Amino acid sequence: MSSESLLGRFTYVERVVHCVVGGSFVALLVTGLAFSYPSLFWLTALAGGGPAARVLHPWIGTVFGVSMVCMLSLWIRDMFLDRDDWRWLGAVKDYATQNHDKVPPAGKYNAGQKVFFWVQGVLAVVFVATGLLLWMPERFESGLLSVARLLHFASTMGGGLLLIVHVYLGTIAYPGTARGMIDGKVTRRWAALHHPRWHQDQSL
Amino acid sequence: MSNNLAIRRMSATPSAFIPLDSLRSNAPEYAKLVDISKCIGCKGCEVACKEWNDLKVEPTANFGSFQSHEDLSSNTWLLMRFNEVEVDGDLLWMIKKDACLHCEDPGCLFACPAPGAIVQYTNGIVDFNQDKCIGCQYCVTGCPFDIPRFDKATKTVFKCNMCIDRVDAGLEPACVKTCPTNAISWGTKDDMLALADQKIETLNRRGYSKASVYNPAGVGGTHMMYVVPHGDRLDDYSLPTDPTASPAPMTGLSFLKRAAVFLFNFSVVGTALHFLRYGQTHVEEHE
Repeated sequence: MSSESLLGRFTYVERVVHCVVGGSFVALLVTGLAFSYPSLFWLTALAGGGPAARVLHPWIGTVFGVSMVCMLSLWIRDMFLDRDDWRWLGAVKDYATQNHDKVPPAGKYNAGQKVFFWVQGVLAVVFVATGLLLWMPERFESGLLSVARLLHFASTMGGGLLLIVHVYLGTIAYPGTARGMIDGKVTRRWAALHHPRWHQDQSL
Repeated sequence: MSNNLAIRRMSATPSAFIPLDSLRSNAPEYAKLVDISKCIGCKGCEVACKEWNDLKVEPTANFGSFQSHEDLSSNTWLLMRFNEVEVDGDLLWMIKKDACLHCEDPGCLFACPAPGAIVQYTNGIVDFNQDKCIGCQYCVTGCPFDIPRFDKATKTVFKCNMCIDRVDAGLEPACVKTCPTNAISWGTKDDMLALADQKIETLNRRGYSKASVYNPAGVGGTHMMYVVPHGDRLDDYSLPTDPTASPAPMTGLSFLKRAAVFLFNFSVVGTALHFLRYGQTHVEEHE
Protein backbone atom coordinates (compact mmCIF):
# COMPACT_ATOMS: atom_id res chain seq x y z
CA MET A 1 0.00 0.00 0.00
CA SER A 2 1.44 3.36 -0.97
CA SER A 3 2.09 6.05 1.59
CA GLU A 4 -0.38 8.44 -0.11
CA SER A 5 -3.25 6.30 1.04
CA LEU A 6 -2.60 7.18 4.71
CA LEU A 7 -4.27 9.91 6.74
CA GLY A 8 -3.00 11.41 10.00
CA ARG A 9 -5.64 10.70 12.67
CA PHE A 10 -4.05 11.40 16.05
CA THR A 11 -1.12 13.70 16.85
CA TYR A 12 1.88 12.64 18.88
CA VAL A 13 0.54 14.50 21.93
CA GLU A 14 -2.86 12.87 21.61
CA ARG A 15 -1.28 9.43 21.38
CA VAL A 16 0.93 10.00 24.41
CA VAL A 17 -1.97 11.29 26.49
CA HIS A 18 -4.20 8.39 25.44
CA CYS A 19 -1.41 5.96 26.27
CA VAL A 20 -0.94 7.45 29.76
CA VAL A 21 -4.70 7.40 30.44
CA GLY A 22 -4.99 3.79 29.32
CA GLY A 23 -1.83 2.59 31.04
CA SER A 24 -2.63 4.26 34.35
CA PHE A 25 -6.22 2.99 34.24
CA VAL A 26 -5.06 -0.60 33.77
CA ALA A 27 -2.55 -0.20 36.63
CA LEU A 28 -5.36 1.19 38.80
CA LEU A 29 -7.61 -1.67 37.82
CA VAL A 30 -5.00 -4.26 38.75
CA THR A 31 -4.32 -2.80 42.21
CA GLY A 32 -7.96 -1.80 42.76
CA LEU A 33 -9.25 -5.28 41.97
CA ALA A 34 -6.79 -6.64 44.53
CA PHE A 35 -8.39 -4.42 47.19
CA SER A 36 -11.91 -5.36 46.08
CA TYR A 37 -11.65 -9.12 45.73
CA PRO A 38 -9.75 -11.21 48.32
CA SER A 39 -9.23 -13.88 45.64
CA LEU A 40 -7.32 -11.30 43.59
CA PHE A 41 -5.26 -9.93 46.51
CA TRP A 42 -2.20 -11.65 44.99
CA LEU A 43 -2.27 -8.95 42.29
CA THR A 44 -0.75 -6.59 44.86
CA ALA A 45 2.47 -8.58 44.33
CA LEU A 46 2.72 -6.88 40.93
CA ALA A 47 3.00 -3.55 42.74
CA GLY A 48 5.47 -4.84 45.32
CA GLY A 49 3.08 -6.11 47.99
CA GLY A 50 -0.07 -4.90 49.78
CA PRO A 51 1.33 -1.82 51.55
CA ALA A 52 3.19 -0.72 48.39
CA ALA A 53 0.03 -1.18 46.31
CA ARG A 54 -1.90 0.95 48.80
CA VAL A 55 0.71 3.73 48.55
CA LEU A 56 1.06 3.54 44.75
CA HIS A 57 -2.62 3.30 43.84
CA PRO A 58 -3.54 6.92 44.66
CA TRP A 59 -0.40 8.25 42.97
CA ILE A 60 -1.23 6.32 39.81
CA GLY A 61 -4.71 7.77 40.24
CA THR A 62 -3.18 11.24 40.24
CA VAL A 63 -1.44 10.48 36.93
CA PHE A 64 -4.73 9.14 35.59
CA GLY A 65 -6.66 12.23 36.75
CA VAL A 66 -4.21 14.69 35.23
CA SER A 67 -3.90 12.82 31.93
CA MET A 68 -7.68 12.43 31.77
CA VAL A 69 -8.09 16.21 32.11
CA CYS A 70 -5.59 16.64 29.26
CA MET A 71 -7.42 14.13 27.10
CA LEU A 72 -10.82 15.63 27.77
CA SER A 73 -9.61 19.12 26.91
CA LEU A 74 -7.85 17.90 23.75
CA TRP A 75 -10.95 16.27 22.34
CA ILE A 76 -13.95 18.04 23.87
CA ARG A 77 -14.37 20.39 20.87
CA ASP A 78 -15.06 17.47 18.55
CA MET A 79 -17.31 15.57 20.92
CA PHE A 80 -20.60 17.49 20.88
CA LEU A 81 -23.37 15.48 19.25
CA ASP A 82 -25.00 16.95 16.13
CA ARG A 83 -28.16 15.90 14.28
CA ASP A 84 -26.35 13.27 12.19
CA ASP A 85 -25.00 11.73 15.37
CA TRP A 86 -28.48 11.13 16.73
CA ARG A 87 -29.38 9.41 13.45
CA TRP A 88 -26.18 7.36 13.81
CA LEU A 89 -27.23 6.28 17.30
CA GLY A 90 -30.57 5.20 15.87
CA ALA A 91 -28.68 2.92 13.49
CA VAL A 92 -26.18 1.64 16.06
CA LYS A 93 -27.53 -1.88 15.60
CA ASP A 94 -26.60 -1.82 11.93
CA TYR A 95 -23.11 -0.61 12.84
CA ALA A 96 -22.71 -3.46 15.32
CA THR A 97 -23.97 -6.06 12.84
CA GLN A 98 -21.79 -5.01 9.91
CA ASN A 99 -24.56 -3.38 7.86
CA HIS A 100 -22.35 -0.41 7.14
CA ASP A 101 -24.44 0.73 4.15
CA LYS A 102 -27.34 1.55 6.45
CA VAL A 103 -25.26 3.61 8.92
CA PRO A 104 -25.44 7.42 8.54
CA PRO A 105 -21.97 8.81 7.73
CA ALA A 106 -19.89 9.75 10.77
CA GLY A 107 -17.48 12.66 11.18
CA LYS A 108 -14.08 12.43 12.86
CA TYR A 109 -15.77 10.61 15.74
CA ASN A 110 -18.95 8.59 15.43
CA ALA A 111 -21.75 9.06 17.94
CA GLY A 112 -20.77 5.91 19.82
CA GLN A 113 -17.29 7.28 20.40
CA LYS A 114 -18.76 10.61 21.50
CA VAL A 115 -21.08 8.96 24.02
CA PHE A 116 -18.16 6.83 25.21
CA PHE A 117 -16.14 10.03 25.69
CA TRP A 118 -18.83 11.71 27.82
CA VAL A 119 -19.64 8.64 29.90
CA GLN A 120 -15.96 7.95 30.62
CA GLY A 121 -15.48 11.64 31.41
CA VAL A 122 -18.26 11.67 34.00
CA LEU A 123 -17.14 8.33 35.47
CA ALA A 124 -13.57 9.66 35.72
CA VAL A 125 -14.75 12.66 37.74
CA VAL A 126 -16.61 10.40 40.19
CA PHE A 127 -13.68 7.98 40.21
CA VAL A 128 -11.07 10.64 41.00
CA ALA A 129 -13.20 12.63 43.46
CA THR A 130 -14.11 9.57 45.55
CA GLY A 131 -10.52 8.34 45.25
CA LEU A 132 -9.30 11.58 46.80
CA LEU A 133 -11.56 11.01 49.82
CA LEU A 134 -10.31 7.44 50.23
CA TRP A 135 -6.72 8.59 49.90
CA MET A 136 -6.95 10.70 53.05
CA PRO A 137 -9.73 9.04 55.05
CA GLU A 138 -8.72 10.63 58.35
CA ARG A 139 -10.16 13.94 57.16
CA PHE A 140 -13.67 12.69 56.43
CA GLU A 141 -16.66 11.13 58.16
CA SER A 142 -16.98 7.37 57.91
CA GLY A 143 -20.53 7.62 56.52
CA LEU A 144 -19.22 9.72 53.63
CA LEU A 145 -16.32 7.32 53.11
CA SER A 146 -18.65 4.32 52.85
CA VAL A 147 -20.58 6.10 50.12
CA ALA A 148 -17.26 7.01 48.48
CA ARG A 149 -16.22 3.34 48.49
CA LEU A 150 -19.50 2.40 46.82
CA LEU A 151 -19.22 5.11 44.15
CA HIS A 152 -15.51 4.46 43.60
CA PHE A 153 -16.26 0.83 42.86
CA ALA A 154 -19.37 1.59 40.78
CA SER A 155 -17.57 4.11 38.55
CA THR A 156 -14.58 1.81 38.09
CA MET A 157 -16.89 -1.02 37.24
CA GLY A 158 -18.62 1.11 34.59
CA GLY A 159 -15.31 2.34 33.18
CA GLY A 160 -13.78 -1.14 33.20
CA LEU A 161 -16.71 -2.74 31.39
CA LEU A 162 -16.70 0.00 28.76
CA LEU A 163 -12.95 -0.54 28.38
CA ILE A 164 -13.57 -4.15 27.32
CA VAL A 165 -15.93 -2.99 24.56
CA HIS A 166 -13.57 -0.12 23.62
CA VAL A 167 -10.58 -2.42 23.19
CA TYR A 168 -12.59 -5.09 21.40
CA LEU A 169 -13.98 -2.62 18.85
CA GLY A 170 -10.65 -0.86 18.38
CA THR A 171 -8.55 -3.96 17.85
CA ILE A 172 -10.40 -7.16 17.00
CA ALA A 173 -13.69 -6.00 15.51
CA TYR A 174 -12.43 -3.14 13.36
CA PRO A 175 -8.87 -3.79 12.19
CA GLY A 176 -6.94 -0.67 11.24
CA THR A 177 -8.44 1.37 14.06
CA ALA A 178 -5.78 0.82 16.71
CA ARG A 179 -3.07 2.00 14.35
CA GLY A 180 -4.45 5.52 14.69
CA MET A 181 -3.43 5.39 18.35
CA ILE A 182 -0.05 3.75 17.74
CA ASP A 183 1.66 5.56 14.87
CA GLY A 184 -1.19 8.03 14.43
CA LYS A 185 -2.16 7.00 10.91
CA VAL A 186 -5.12 5.28 9.30
CA THR A 187 -5.70 4.24 5.72
CA ARG A 188 -7.97 6.31 3.48
CA ARG A 189 -10.08 3.23 2.87
CA TRP A 190 -10.54 2.78 6.64
CA ALA A 191 -11.54 6.43 6.98
CA ALA A 192 -13.96 6.24 4.03
CA LEU A 193 -15.77 3.31 5.66
CA HIS A 194 -15.81 4.32 9.34
CA HIS A 195 -15.68 8.13 9.20
CA PRO A 196 -16.88 9.20 5.72
CA ARG A 197 -17.53 12.85 6.57
CA TRP A 198 -14.09 13.24 8.16
CA HIS A 199 -12.57 11.44 5.15
CA GLN A 200 -14.25 13.94 2.84
CA ASP A 201 -12.95 16.90 4.87
CA GLN A 202 -9.44 15.46 4.73
CA SER A 203 -9.66 15.04 0.98
CA LEU A 204 -10.54 18.68 0.26
CA MET B 1 -9.17 -24.19 79.57
CA SER B 2 -9.99 -24.62 75.91
CA ASN B 3 -8.05 -23.04 73.11
CA ASN B 4 -9.66 -19.63 73.04
CA LEU B 5 -7.17 -18.23 70.54
CA ALA B 6 -8.44 -20.42 67.70
CA ILE B 7 -9.36 -18.27 64.71
CA ARG B 8 -13.06 -17.65 64.28
CA ARG B 9 -13.00 -15.08 61.48
CA MET B 10 -10.22 -13.74 59.31
CA SER B 11 -10.49 -10.61 57.17
CA ALA B 12 -10.63 -10.93 53.37
CA THR B 13 -11.20 -14.69 53.52
CA PRO B 14 -14.43 -16.68 53.36
CA SER B 15 -14.33 -17.01 57.16
CA ALA B 16 -14.96 -13.27 57.44
CA PHE B 17 -18.59 -13.99 56.63
CA ILE B 18 -18.85 -17.70 57.46
CA PRO B 19 -17.22 -17.99 60.91
CA LEU B 20 -15.35 -21.21 61.58
CA ASP B 21 -17.77 -22.21 64.33
CA SER B 22 -18.83 -25.60 63.05
CA LEU B 23 -15.37 -26.98 63.84
CA ARG B 24 -15.58 -26.54 67.57
CA SER B 25 -17.79 -27.27 70.52
CA ASN B 26 -18.87 -24.40 72.71
CA ALA B 27 -15.67 -22.54 73.50
CA PRO B 28 -16.47 -19.81 76.02
CA GLU B 29 -16.71 -16.23 74.83
CA TYR B 30 -15.30 -13.63 77.17
CA ALA B 31 -16.48 -10.11 77.84
CA LYS B 32 -15.65 -7.03 79.83
CA LEU B 33 -18.48 -5.34 81.68
CA VAL B 34 -17.96 -1.65 82.46
CA ASP B 35 -20.26 -0.39 85.19
CA ILE B 36 -20.24 3.35 84.53
CA SER B 37 -22.06 4.03 87.82
CA LYS B 38 -19.05 2.73 89.73
CA CYS B 39 -16.38 4.64 87.81
CA ILE B 40 -14.72 7.39 89.85
CA GLY B 41 -12.71 8.78 86.91
CA CYS B 42 -9.27 7.91 88.29
CA LYS B 43 -7.88 6.86 84.87
CA GLY B 44 -5.97 4.00 86.48
CA CYS B 45 -7.16 1.82 83.59
CA GLU B 46 -5.53 4.19 81.07
CA VAL B 47 -2.23 3.90 82.89
CA ALA B 48 -2.49 0.12 83.19
CA CYS B 49 -3.23 -0.10 79.46
CA LYS B 50 -0.17 1.98 78.59
CA GLU B 51 2.03 -0.01 80.94
CA TRP B 52 0.96 -3.51 80.05
CA ASN B 53 1.00 -2.89 76.31
CA ASP B 54 4.20 -0.84 76.58
CA LEU B 55 2.72 2.09 74.67
CA LYS B 56 4.68 5.33 74.49
CA VAL B 57 3.35 8.16 76.61
CA GLU B 58 2.14 11.16 74.63
CA PRO B 59 2.73 14.61 76.09
CA THR B 60 -0.66 16.09 76.94
CA ALA B 61 -1.91 19.59 77.66
CA ASN B 62 -4.88 20.90 79.58
CA PHE B 63 -7.71 21.62 77.18
CA GLY B 64 -10.32 22.50 79.74
CA SER B 65 -11.41 19.02 80.70
CA PHE B 66 -10.51 16.36 83.23
CA GLN B 67 -9.96 14.06 80.27
CA SER B 68 -6.32 13.04 79.80
CA HIS B 69 -6.10 13.11 75.99
CA GLU B 70 -8.35 14.76 73.46
CA ASP B 71 -8.65 11.61 71.41
CA LEU B 72 -7.55 8.02 71.00
CA SER B 73 -4.39 7.50 68.97
CA SER B 74 -2.29 4.69 67.56
CA ASN B 75 -0.63 4.34 70.98
CA THR B 76 -3.49 5.42 73.22
CA TRP B 77 -5.89 2.51 73.01
CA LEU B 78 -8.05 3.48 75.96
CA LEU B 79 -9.43 6.89 76.80
CA MET B 80 -11.87 7.79 79.56
CA ARG B 81 -14.10 10.39 77.94
CA PHE B 82 -15.32 12.89 80.50
CA ASN B 83 -18.58 14.00 78.93
CA GLU B 84 -19.89 16.91 80.97
CA VAL B 85 -23.68 16.96 80.89
CA GLU B 86 -26.21 19.05 82.80
CA VAL B 87 -29.07 17.06 84.28
CA ASP B 88 -31.76 18.92 86.28
CA GLY B 89 -29.38 21.78 86.95
CA ASP B 90 -26.62 19.47 88.16
CA LEU B 91 -23.40 18.73 86.37
CA LEU B 92 -22.85 15.07 85.62
CA TRP B 93 -19.80 13.33 84.27
CA MET B 94 -21.11 10.76 81.86
CA ILE B 95 -17.83 8.94 81.62
CA LYS B 96 -17.30 6.54 78.74
CA LYS B 97 -14.50 4.02 78.63
CA ASP B 98 -13.60 4.57 74.99
CA ALA B 99 -11.82 1.55 73.52
CA CYS B 100 -12.55 -1.29 71.14
CA LEU B 101 -15.86 -3.00 71.96
CA HIS B 102 -14.81 -6.26 70.23
CA CYS B 103 -18.03 -6.68 68.27
CA GLU B 104 -19.48 -10.10 67.58
CA ASP B 105 -19.97 -8.87 63.96
CA PRO B 106 -16.89 -6.67 63.49
CA GLY B 107 -17.42 -3.94 60.89
CA CYS B 108 -13.65 -3.38 60.73
CA LEU B 109 -13.02 -7.01 59.82
CA PHE B 110 -15.78 -7.02 57.19
CA ALA B 111 -14.32 -3.88 55.58
CA CYS B 112 -10.68 -5.06 55.57
CA PRO B 113 -9.26 -6.05 52.13
CA ALA B 114 -6.00 -7.56 53.45
CA PRO B 115 -6.23 -11.31 54.19
CA GLY B 116 -5.55 -11.98 57.86
CA ALA B 117 -4.91 -8.37 58.88
CA ILE B 118 -7.90 -8.54 61.23
CA VAL B 119 -8.90 -11.69 63.04
CA GLN B 120 -11.55 -12.64 65.55
CA TYR B 121 -10.76 -15.43 67.97
CA THR B 122 -13.30 -17.92 69.30
CA ASN B 123 -13.23 -16.10 72.62
CA GLY B 124 -14.65 -13.01 70.86
CA ILE B 125 -11.55 -10.84 70.84
CA VAL B 126 -10.95 -8.90 67.63
CA ASP B 127 -7.27 -8.30 66.92
CA PHE B 128 -5.24 -6.45 64.29
CA ASN B 129 -2.14 -8.02 62.73
CA GLN B 130 -0.04 -5.03 61.72
CA ASP B 131 2.31 -7.23 59.69
CA LYS B 132 -0.51 -7.96 57.27
CA CYS B 133 -2.07 -4.48 57.33
CA ILE B 134 -1.75 -2.49 54.08
CA GLY B 135 -2.74 0.85 55.62
CA CYS B 136 -5.91 1.51 53.58
CA GLN B 137 -7.88 2.47 56.72
CA TYR B 138 -11.06 0.79 55.49
CA CYS B 139 -11.36 -0.62 59.05
CA VAL B 140 -11.59 2.95 60.36
CA THR B 141 -14.48 3.56 57.97
CA GLY B 142 -16.06 0.21 58.84
CA CYS B 143 -15.99 0.72 62.63
CA PRO B 144 -19.28 2.15 63.92
CA PHE B 145 -17.55 3.27 67.15
CA ASP B 146 -14.65 5.24 65.61
CA ILE B 147 -11.98 3.23 67.43
CA PRO B 148 -9.09 2.17 65.13
CA ARG B 149 -6.33 4.76 64.74
CA PHE B 150 -3.88 5.02 61.87
CA ASP B 151 -0.19 5.49 62.58
CA LYS B 152 1.38 7.63 59.87
CA ALA B 153 4.93 6.47 60.54
CA THR B 154 4.29 2.74 60.14
CA LYS B 155 1.22 3.17 57.90
CA THR B 156 -0.71 0.62 59.94
CA VAL B 157 -3.72 0.76 62.23
CA PHE B 158 -3.89 0.04 65.97
CA LYS B 159 -6.50 -0.46 68.66
CA CYS B 160 -7.17 -2.25 71.96
CA ASN B 161 -6.43 -5.99 71.69
CA MET B 162 -8.14 -6.82 75.02
CA CYS B 163 -4.67 -7.71 76.40
CA ILE B 164 -4.81 -10.87 74.34
CA ASP B 165 -1.55 -12.15 75.79
CA ARG B 166 -2.93 -11.89 79.32
CA VAL B 167 -6.24 -13.49 78.34
CA ASP B 168 -4.38 -16.35 76.68
CA ALA B 169 -2.55 -16.91 79.97
CA GLY B 170 -5.86 -17.04 81.86
CA LEU B 171 -5.57 -13.52 83.25
CA GLU B 172 -7.98 -10.61 82.99
CA PRO B 173 -7.08 -7.54 80.85
CA ALA B 174 -4.85 -4.96 82.56
CA CYS B 175 -7.62 -2.34 82.89
CA VAL B 176 -9.81 -4.85 84.72
CA LYS B 177 -6.99 -5.84 87.04
CA THR B 178 -6.17 -2.29 88.06
CA CYS B 179 -9.63 -0.77 88.53
CA PRO B 180 -9.82 0.24 92.22
CA THR B 181 -13.63 0.27 92.43
CA ASN B 182 -14.24 -2.93 90.46
CA ALA B 183 -16.14 -0.91 87.90
CA ILE B 184 -14.78 -3.26 85.23
CA SER B 185 -15.57 -6.95 85.46
CA TRP B 186 -14.26 -9.82 83.35
CA GLY B 187 -15.66 -13.26 82.66
CA THR B 188 -17.65 -15.28 80.17
CA LYS B 189 -20.13 -13.30 78.18
CA ASP B 190 -23.06 -15.17 79.76
CA ASP B 191 -21.78 -14.42 83.26
CA MET B 192 -21.29 -10.76 82.39
CA LEU B 193 -24.82 -10.46 81.00
CA ALA B 194 -26.17 -12.01 84.22
CA LEU B 195 -24.02 -9.64 86.27
CA ALA B 196 -25.33 -6.72 84.22
CA ASP B 197 -28.89 -7.72 85.05
CA GLN B 198 -28.07 -7.72 88.77
CA LYS B 199 -26.40 -4.34 88.50
CA ILE B 200 -29.35 -2.87 86.64
CA GLU B 201 -31.71 -4.18 89.29
CA THR B 202 -29.63 -2.48 91.98
CA LEU B 203 -29.53 0.75 89.99
CA ASN B 204 -33.29 0.62 89.46
CA ARG B 205 -33.78 0.28 93.20
CA ARG B 206 -31.54 3.30 93.75
CA GLY B 207 -33.70 5.43 91.46
CA TYR B 208 -31.99 4.98 88.09
CA SER B 209 -35.12 3.73 86.42
CA LYS B 210 -33.64 3.96 82.91
CA ALA B 211 -30.47 1.99 83.69
CA SER B 212 -29.62 -0.43 80.89
CA VAL B 213 -26.90 -2.64 79.46
CA TYR B 214 -25.18 -1.53 76.25
CA ASN B 215 -24.70 -4.61 74.07
CA PRO B 216 -25.99 -3.34 70.70
CA ALA B 217 -27.70 -5.87 68.43
CA GLY B 218 -26.65 -4.08 65.21
CA VAL B 219 -23.13 -5.46 65.67
CA GLY B 220 -24.31 -8.81 67.04
CA GLY B 221 -23.51 -7.72 70.60
CA THR B 222 -20.10 -6.75 71.94
CA HIS B 223 -17.38 -8.20 74.12
CA MET B 224 -17.06 -4.98 76.04
CA MET B 225 -20.45 -4.04 77.42
CA TYR B 226 -21.50 -1.12 79.57
CA VAL B 227 -23.95 -0.74 82.40
CA VAL B 228 -25.36 2.69 81.64
CA PRO B 229 -27.11 4.42 84.59
CA HIS B 230 -28.94 6.87 82.31
CA GLY B 231 -29.88 4.39 79.61
CA ASP B 232 -32.08 6.95 77.87
CA ARG B 233 -29.13 9.30 77.27
CA LEU B 234 -26.74 7.18 75.20
CA ASP B 235 -25.81 10.26 73.12
CA ASP B 236 -24.52 12.02 76.22
CA TYR B 237 -22.22 9.04 76.88
CA SER B 238 -21.11 9.28 73.24
CA LEU B 239 -22.47 5.77 72.68
CA PRO B 240 -24.12 5.37 69.25
CA THR B 241 -27.78 4.44 69.66
CA ASP B 242 -27.97 2.16 66.65
CA PRO B 243 -24.51 1.06 65.46
CA THR B 244 -24.36 -1.34 62.53
CA ALA B 245 -21.63 -3.59 61.13
CA SER B 246 -23.11 -3.52 57.63
CA PRO B 247 -24.29 0.00 56.73
CA ALA B 248 -26.34 0.38 53.53
CA PRO B 249 -23.42 1.55 51.29
CA MET B 250 -21.38 -1.52 52.30
CA THR B 251 -24.30 -3.84 51.55
CA GLY B 252 -24.61 -2.09 48.20
CA LEU B 253 -20.89 -2.53 47.63
CA SER B 254 -20.98 -6.30 48.19
CA PHE B 255 -23.93 -6.54 45.81
CA LEU B 256 -22.05 -4.50 43.17
CA LYS B 257 -18.96 -6.69 43.56
CA ARG B 258 -21.01 -9.75 42.68
CA ALA B 259 -22.77 -7.93 39.85
CA ALA B 260 -19.39 -6.82 38.47
CA VAL B 261 -18.18 -10.42 38.22
CA PHE B 262 -21.31 -11.34 36.29
CA LEU B 263 -21.11 -8.30 34.00
CA PHE B 264 -17.41 -8.86 33.35
CA ASN B 265 -18.06 -12.44 32.25
CA PHE B 266 -21.06 -11.28 30.26
CA SER B 267 -18.93 -8.68 28.43
CA VAL B 268 -16.12 -11.08 27.64
CA VAL B 269 -18.46 -13.82 26.45
CA GLY B 270 -20.59 -11.22 24.65
CA THR B 271 -17.69 -9.79 22.67
CA ALA B 272 -16.48 -13.31 21.86
CA LEU B 273 -19.93 -14.29 20.58
CA HIS B 274 -20.17 -11.05 18.61
CA PHE B 275 -16.82 -11.81 17.04
CA LEU B 276 -17.86 -15.35 16.11
CA ARG B 277 -21.15 -14.13 14.65
CA TYR B 278 -20.07 -10.98 12.80
CA GLY B 279 -16.31 -11.33 12.55
CA GLN B 280 -14.09 -8.45 11.60
CA THR B 281 -14.93 -5.48 9.41
CA HIS B 282 -12.36 -5.61 6.65
CA VAL B 283 -12.39 -2.31 4.83
CA GLU B 284 -11.55 -3.98 1.50
CA GLU B 285 -14.86 -5.82 1.54
CA HIS B 286 -16.83 -2.58 1.72
CA GLU B 287 -15.51 -0.85 -1.36
